[in-house]
Amino acid sequence: MNYKILKWVRVAVSLVFIIGITAAFIFFVNRESALFSQFLKIQFVPSLLGIFSGGAVVFVLLILLTLLFGRVYCSTLCPLGTFQDSTTRVANLFKSKKKRRFKYDKPKNWIRYSVLSIIAIFFIGGVTAPIAWLDPYSNWGRVSNEIISRVEQLLHNALSNIFPEAIFFRSYAHFAVGSFIFALLFISAVVIFSSLRGRLYCNTICPVGTLLGMLSKISLYKPKIDESKCNKCGLCVINCKSQCIDLENQSVDESRCVSCQNCMQVCKRAAISYKISLRVKENKKNEKLEPASNERRRALIAMGLVGTALAAKAINFKPLLSSKPKITGIAPPGAVSIDNLKRNCTACYACVSACPNNIIQPASMEYGLDGVLLPVLSFKHHFCGYECNMCTTVCPNDALKPMSIVDKQLSQIGEAQFFQEKCIVHTDGTDCGACDEHCPTKAITMVPYGEGSLYIPSLNVDICIGCGGCEYICPAVPEKAMVVYAKAVHGVALKPTEDKQEKVKVDDFGF
Amino acid sequence: MERRNFIKTAILGGIAGAVQLKSNNLLAGEKMSVSASNDLVAVMGGEPGEMYKKGIAAMGGISKFVKKGQKVVVKPNIGWDKRPEFAANTNPELIAEIVKDCLAAGAAEVTVFDHTCDEWQSCYKNSGIEAAAKAAGAKLAFAHDEKYYKSVPLPMGVRLKEVKIHESIIDCDVWINVPVLKNHGGARMTIAMKNYMGIVWDRRFWHSNDLQQCIADCATYSKMPVLNIVDAYRIMTQNGPKGKSIEDVQNPKALFISADIVAVDTAAVRFFNQFREMKLEEVSHIGIAEKMKLGTTDIDNLKVERIKIG
Repeated sequence: MNYKILKWVRVAVSLVFIIGITAAFIFFVNRESALFSQFLKIQFVPSLLGIFSGGAVVFVLLILLTLLFGRVYCSTLCPLGTFQDSTTRVANLFKSKKKRRFKYDKPKNWIRYSVLSIIAIFFIGGVTAPIAWLDPYSNWGRVSNEIISRVEQLLHNALSNIFPEAIFFRSYAHFAVGSFIFALLFISAVVIFSSLRGRLYCNTICPVGTLLGMLSKISLYKPKIDESKCNKCGLCVINCKSQCIDLENQSVDESRCVSCQNCMQVCKRAAISYKISLRVKENKKNEKLEPASNERRRALIAMGLVGTALAAKAINFKPLLSSKPKITGIAPPGAVSIDNLKRNCTACYACVSACPNNIIQPASMEYGLDGVLLPVLSFKHHFCGYECNMCTTVCPNDALKPMSIVDKQLSQIGEAQFFQEKCIVHTDGTDCGACDEHCPTKAITMVPYGEGSLYIPSLNVDICIGCGGCEYICPAVPEKAMVVYAKAVHGVALKPTEDKQEKVKVDDFGF
Repeated sequence: MERRNFIKTAILGGIAGAVQLKSNNLLAGEKMSVSASNDLVAVMGGEPGEMYKKGIAAMGGISKFVKKGQKVVVKPNIGWDKRPEFAANTNPELIAEIVKDCLAAGAAEVTVFDHTCDEWQSCYKNSGIEAAAKAAGAKLAFAHDEKYYKSVPLPMGVRLKEVKIHESIIDCDVWINVPVLKNHGGARMTIAMKNYMGIVWDRRFWHSNDLQQCIADCATYSKMPVLNIVDAYRIMTQNGPKGKSIEDVQNPKALFISADIVAVDTAAVRFFNQFREMKLEEVSHIGIAEKMKLGTTDIDNLKVERIKIG
């Protein structure tokens, strides 16, 4: 096997993935094509969460891939992994040759297994937030949306100043400081980790890395050192970004190896290579460190965790731990309910960046503490487009279920309420009708009011879908006369009335 | 710079400035004195492009209104993310025909835009206007951000004293107002004067400061459209201005043209009244505008030409 070719194939695929995934979060790319959103579906956590709605195939493939070759996901498909490798490379440019060398490091089992356990306990209990904070894909999504896409916006607007007629300006109004800071802190930490210690994040904190690492213990092909060929030159060790090659014992810690093939490629004596290992017994020296039974146990625990998580998902646990404040956040269409959103959303912001109206924003406390960062609607700068279902089509998890335009046009995400005492028609005695103008279902109609010829809004909540057009445009200050309130469980609106009218034929102009 | 040269330059500059000012006045005067053969033309029974051609001919041809080398704006209603058959937006074929005609008359450039209510890119696209106008040779201007608007005073305004107007209107030589005829829950009707809401940035202010008065106030803006062309090929007679379904639409195939915005709105309301009762007094911005001397509702005393096709 030529590991050089294999390695370059891996690098090429990983570049395709990081570019494809990042592109899905860039404004004009996602506007025109859903192609890039497909990349988001080939990710571990989204496929796990979306397992009952189309994620199963990807999930099974990823597990099989791991059972065959170890953590290929981490080295090839994970955008955060590829980003860290790039950072390491860039950081090396600024280091002396000596400082570039990696050394073997002991696993930080205590940290990585604690993190995974805590996340698993929460997840099985129906709370997804901790995964959302640490999942590498979702974090990359947030970084793409909050930082990369912002940079792209600045460039776009700079170009729009140079070519004002060809390139339009994009407003800076939609900016959530909290999630920007979260993304910035996260990526700064990862940059520091990876420029100093390679894949430290992946092997200490990342729950996906830890879980797949546990499975890798029993994978079919493993990197093995052939003692008869190895002269302990250490070339593999100084190139191992996972710091998992222990030359003293001539063993490789598969749970931390991300299958990058760097070691195999640099070894001048072909002493390290993939070997079939049906049973975990070959390396006697290794047994001193970790008995084989221990490894199998760990893999079993991992499988058990995944199984329990899936079972918990299947029976649809209600969150055991959930702060229950007054819910003020309106969940995007397709969310089904705020509970469903909390169970399945990892706040990757695919929907946030796809929304052409920029009304999907990262939540602060609108859903309560366990809903921080989740996508929430804001009608401050616009409202939900009646002819649009973009957010429901890009979600890689099960968080926003795909909805046809027709279904979405009946999906009640919220419910408007009319406060007549604040309405301009009432307070000023003048015509307005801004809400009626924007209402797509005509849940709002104008009815005669008072003595003169005034008309005032009348609201039929049965056909209101909570799109927010009325709230957005209502000119009443300081408080709006039309306010859309969240529905914790989305409803189905009645169909708008047909309003048949006679088709009139005229022969005259009327004047 | 020598003092003499400086003075020379200053004087020349001053004269140039004065001439510039004057030319504006001249232009305004010219617009008023356009001796159209008719004050108002009403057409019925044809396709949008065909009706426009007959109508504009009866007005004396486009070259009476658009001069060689001028920058022209054609302002349709593109408020909503709706396809043409829903009659929520101006007919794209009509817009294309007007654009072509302006270019044929020697217009240096023709710009089309609207400050939309729904998301602007969907509106431009699904209304069919972006494609039709571009194919006809116009350029589409962006109007979705405050940065594209500039503040202008309205000295004659009663409630609206200052308004942010789209830069392409401010920068153009002449503009043509091309609304679609629809009922409206707030203003009762949306026709030519109401179409000004798409050239301004802050519409909320109008709604909260006597909508009908603000509509008339904005029509006092010194750069008036040289022509108002009301698209009534399809009209929305209920659930306007956005509409809900195709059921809201009637298909009378008509068109009204006048330089007098009040007259054309009056004609359109009287036409609309045949489909659904609508008193002119109810559409009170029309009456207010007449009082503000922006035009006349007395269309029976105007020179009106009625054209029926087929």
